[in-house]
Amino acid sequence: MIHTLGIDVGSSAIKAVAMKLDDQGGGGTLAASHVNKIRKRSVKDVVLQVVERVLQEGGLSREDITYIATTGEGEMVDFRNGHFYSMTSHARGALFLSSSVRAVMDVGALHARVMLMDSRSKVLDHRMTSQCASGSGQFLENISRYLGVAVEDIGRLSLEADKPEMVSSICAVLSETDVINMVSRGVSTPNILKGIHLSIGKRLINLLRMVKAEGDVLVTGGLAQDAGLLAVLQSLALELGLKVRIAAHPQSVLAGAIGAALWGGYRYTKLKMKEAEV
Amino acid sequence: MELNDIVRRCEDLYHDLDLTSVKEWKRRTGGKAVGFLPIYVPRETVHAAGALPVGIMGAGDDLEIIRGDAFYQSYICHIPRSTVELGLSGRLDCLDGFLFPAICDVIRNLSGMWKILFPDKYVRYLDVPQNFDERLGGVFYRQELAALFQDLCALTGRPASDEALRRSIEAYNENRRAIAELYRLRAEEPHRVPTYEHYLLMRASNVLEVTEHTALVDAYLAAARRENRPWRDNIRVILTGVFCEQPPLGLIRALEQSGCSIVDDDWVLGARYLREPVAAEGDPLDALVTSYLRRGTPTATRYIDEDAKGEDLIRRVRTLRAEGVIFASPSFCDPALLEAPMLQRALGAEKIPYTAFKFSENSGQLQVIKEQTGAFADSIKLWGAA
Repeated sequence: MIHTLGIDVGSSAIKAVAMKLDDQGGGGTLAASHVNKIRKRSVKDVVLQVVERVLQEGGLSREDITYIATTGEGEMVDFRNGHFYSMTSHARGALFLSSSVRAVMDVGALHARVMLMDSRSKVLDHRMTSQCASGSGQFLENISRYLGVAVEDIGRLSLEADKPEMVSSICAVLSETDVINMVSRGVSTPNILKGIHLSIGKRLINLLRMVKAEGDVLVTGGLAQDAGLLAVLQSLALELGLKVRIAAHPQSVLAGAIGAALWGGYRYTKLKMKEAEV
Repeated sequence: MELNDIVRRCEDLYHDLDLTSVKEWKRRTGGKAVGFLPIYVPRETVHAAGALPVGIMGAGDDLEIIRGDAFYQSYICHIPRSTVELGLSGRLDCLDGFLFPAICDVIRNLSGMWKILFPDKYVRYLDVPQNFDERLGGVFYRQELAALFQDLCALTGRPASDEALRRSIEAYNENRRAIAELYRLRAEEPHRVPTYEHYLLMRASNVLEVTEHTALVDAYLAAARRENRPWRDNIRVILTGVFCEQPPLGLIRALEQSGCSIVDDDWVLGARYLREPVAAEGDPLDALVTSYLRRGTPTATRYIDEDAKGEDLIRRVRTLRAEGVIFASPSFCDPALLEAPMLQRALGAEKIPYTAFKFSENSGQLQVIKEQTGAFADSIKLWGAA
């Protein structure tokens, strides 16, 4: 049995997991996990805090870890053994969370992308949002702050909307202006939030169409926890007649870190085997 | 000397566009300084004439181009623009002469511009043979070198002495030995020699007196071997195409951060263009000519059989256990961009993975390149034989 660590350094939060794997680097169970927002602190300090917490929760020490893998902006974690590209890690993590998944929609703080993958989680195609404000997570968080709404309440409020108003889907600055106008016109908070979800959702659904996704799609990244966005994505897919089933997993936010840790285990055993051959 | 001190010194030299270290050398020794552009000039001739050879490789992303753009069309690479900018802003005033080796039409034209812009400076276009027969190209090149050496000695006021040339050849042989050791250590244990440090150390060879640079490389090697650095699960790659215009430092860092350990490259190629020591006995000019004809690196500006270059790259891939090749070509660099398809065909035939991108010395948007090389590294690590 081996343990690996996966650290996903995002633009607004650090996610880390410890995975328990068999000696061949297969299997895999989640031993411990932790997520912490960066909140203008030193990224390196937050990484260290998150890692220590995961080790503590998993009853592990640094010496128990055979491979420390990073993903996202994790190249700056100097104690890593290896780094995996975000798409590779999210695809692997998604497959771990749901074995039937064939496409991943990773919606983070500053970017969103869709990956098409095979049954081994090999990325076959991908598309990223290319416009300003593609970083839907951070934008949504900013708007919620202006509206005086806690981030956790965004999804619930959006589901209460009865007459949503669309915002500009082109630019974050224009969208913010739209929101200010809506507030002054007395548009309710749920309708504003759902309008934003619709705007983000249309672009994400478009990415799914571009990679010709079919079957199960898992939403990962920070916005996977947003029930309002998920509902919008599901209804848009239905409206457009896409042959997809969009879902999130309670641990979707950890997909990148899980994927990195699993790939770390794979690399560890592969390199061990190569070493033995030599 | 501690590792951090060496790296900091190299960083200072890299960013010193005003050539402060060259001015200090001139003040200390009373000698002249002669600039040269990539790829290769026989620095031994400059050194033996008592001058300091100073490699100029553009200004990277440290200088805003204001006047340099007026000299070139938009479809020309970036290095001549920043070189003109450096010259016109007075930053190269401490150079008493400038050598423009044959590399491409752009640099040849730059040598003509330099003569017009700086009429009181010694400027020479150094033609190198593309015929590698000693009786033809060899004779021509010897005449070129003899004329160059005479000119340089006239510039410095030193006698053109064979003995001085032999001593310079020995000094540069020693430098080649140190650089070869640096490359060897990086290829054997890439985590000990981060690419960023390796590159800065090579760049220092452009401005330091050769014996000082050799001592610096030796000190770095000793310090790097002492330093306890964590092992990294990166793929081993050869970087090619960066023999003239140089990638910005951020790009060099990004390559390593994205999971690629560079085990061989062609940056600052002039410092190791001759792959073996030059004979320090006999006629020194003959020795330089023979080394150029027989032991020069097969690179884009050497018009040899195209298969020979592919074979050389594949041999290096095998010897260095490289898992892939990265083609980094400066935008609008004809030599690099015309060479790449031939090398890629050779790699393809051997099923050696490669990826290619373009850059300019002042590229600021590195995310796309980082994603490309990161995906390349993952594809080899997870789905390849690595």
